[in-house]
Amino acid sequence: MALALKAQHSFETEDFESRRKVVKFTVLRKADPDHVGGAELASFEETMLPHLDAAHNLARWLLRNEQDAQDVVQEAYLRAFKSFGGFHGSNGRAWLLTIVRNTSYTLLKKNRAVDLTTTFDEEIHATGHESASPAAILEHAEDAELIRKAMDELPVDFREILTLRHQEGLSYKEIGEIVKIPAGTVMSRLARARAKLKEYLAVRIGKER
Amino acid sequence: MICEEAIKLMDGYLDGELDPMTSQKIEQHLRDCRKCEEAYEAHTALAHAISRGAPYYKAPTELRERIQSSLRDAVGVRDSRSAARENRALLTSPRAERRLVLPEIPWNWLALAAAIILAAIIASSLLSQLRPPTSDQFLATQLIASHVRSLMADHLTDVASSDQHTVKPWLDTKLDFAPPVVDLSSEGFPLIGGRLDYLDNRPVAALVYQRRKHFINLFVWPAASDASKAPKTITRQGYQLLHWADSDFNYWAVSDVNVNDLQTFRQQFETRTPRH
Repeated sequence: MALALKAQHSFETEDFESRRKVVKFTVLRKADPDHVGGAELASFEETMLPHLDAAHNLARWLLRNEQDAQDVVQEAYLRAFKSFGGFHGSNGRAWLLTIVRNTSYTLLKKNRAVDLTTTFDEEIHATGHESASPAAILEHAEDAELIRKAMDELPVDFREILTLRHQEGLSYKEIGEIVKIPAGTVMSRLARARAKLKEYLAVRIGKER
Repeated sequence: MICEEAIKLMDGYLDGELDPMTSQKIEQHLRDCRKCEEAYEAHTALAHAISRGAPYYKAPTELRERIQSSLRDAVGVRDSRSAARENRALLTSPRAERRLVLPEIPWNWLALAAAIILAAIIASSLLSQLRPPTSDQFLATQLIASHVRSLMADHLTDVASSDQHTVKPWLDTKLDFAPPVVDLSSEGFPLIGGRLDYLDNRPVAALVYQRRKHFINLFVWPAASDASKAPKTITRQGYQLLHWADSDFNYWAVSDVNVNDLQTFRQQFETRTPRH
């Protein structure tokens, strides 16, 4: 379709005397997309905006910073829109989360390389043994703040896999596709993440006493 | 199976990701080995603690708006509100605009072309809105709107209780029918509460269930005698809708959980609902 143009001109009589009637045009849209672009955008928003909470939650856990999370999610949505033509699958959430993850890692690599190395405070966690029993951990299981703090201390790949499994309820196959590891590795990484979290919880509970 | 192997596969077993054969072997081992059974119980409790305790960071409203406006910028579409504002300004203050007027362009042909194009755009956008939806589509729209509204306005439940013996009597007194209410906590779909809603031109019961961090709204109302009983799924705007019916009631489950979870939910609900 042709360019969308907007016309305007003055109605005052003096214009007839002073000069020829003139008109101003403003190009409202770039070439062509008044239908294609609008329709594609509508379809994109319909498919992807319902997953905004999931996208934000993942970015927030990966980056541990609200402002960064919002910037990354916005950037990820723009990237997703640009490659939306290549999306033919049915699992919009997994597709979007893959892009959110990639965008988050780009930022982590650029700004905070330290976050990507799986170091953690050996001082705090060098106890070597669990200082609280499984029963004590279960007693504190309802303590959301405790769980949040312990989870925030985990290395990024552990935070990521726990979020995808426990909060999004994704299958090993879906997680494997997002994180780009085989399903068997998903299981072993989840096992290690849970064991580590349990250890951190135990240390925290031990300290509270 | 030896303990070492059972421990190694425990996470897969817990997550229901093992093949049936291996699953069965672990089950057998847990029956035989007290130590592994205890480890499994502790592990399950930890998994539940993570699912329940870890905060889910929902996106703030400003972020949604920011994204939508940046997408519009990317595609070059201006939102209709700002366009309307400009059109108004154009009619009311021609004098202010005159400074911008470019000379030397004959107005008549271009103005005519522009007017035709504008009219065509307006007409086509109006026509697409006027297309009548089918009754199922219309109902699906209502269901999704109701589901989204219940989560948005912080009005998920009128009666918040995980006890089916609290929710059911409450709904019974408010409605002219008595919907079946069952708690499915042990199946991983805890009952959160109940709510009154209005759909398809009648008051309906909305039962609210949770699946991990996601909510399922189950809308229930009496079935018309000629209604189709065949289960049906619809996916729209990223939401899953699942419809089924029994001799008494129509059921519509709406959620953003995946189709398999919703199917499991239906099976569990049907198994636990008393047969007529």
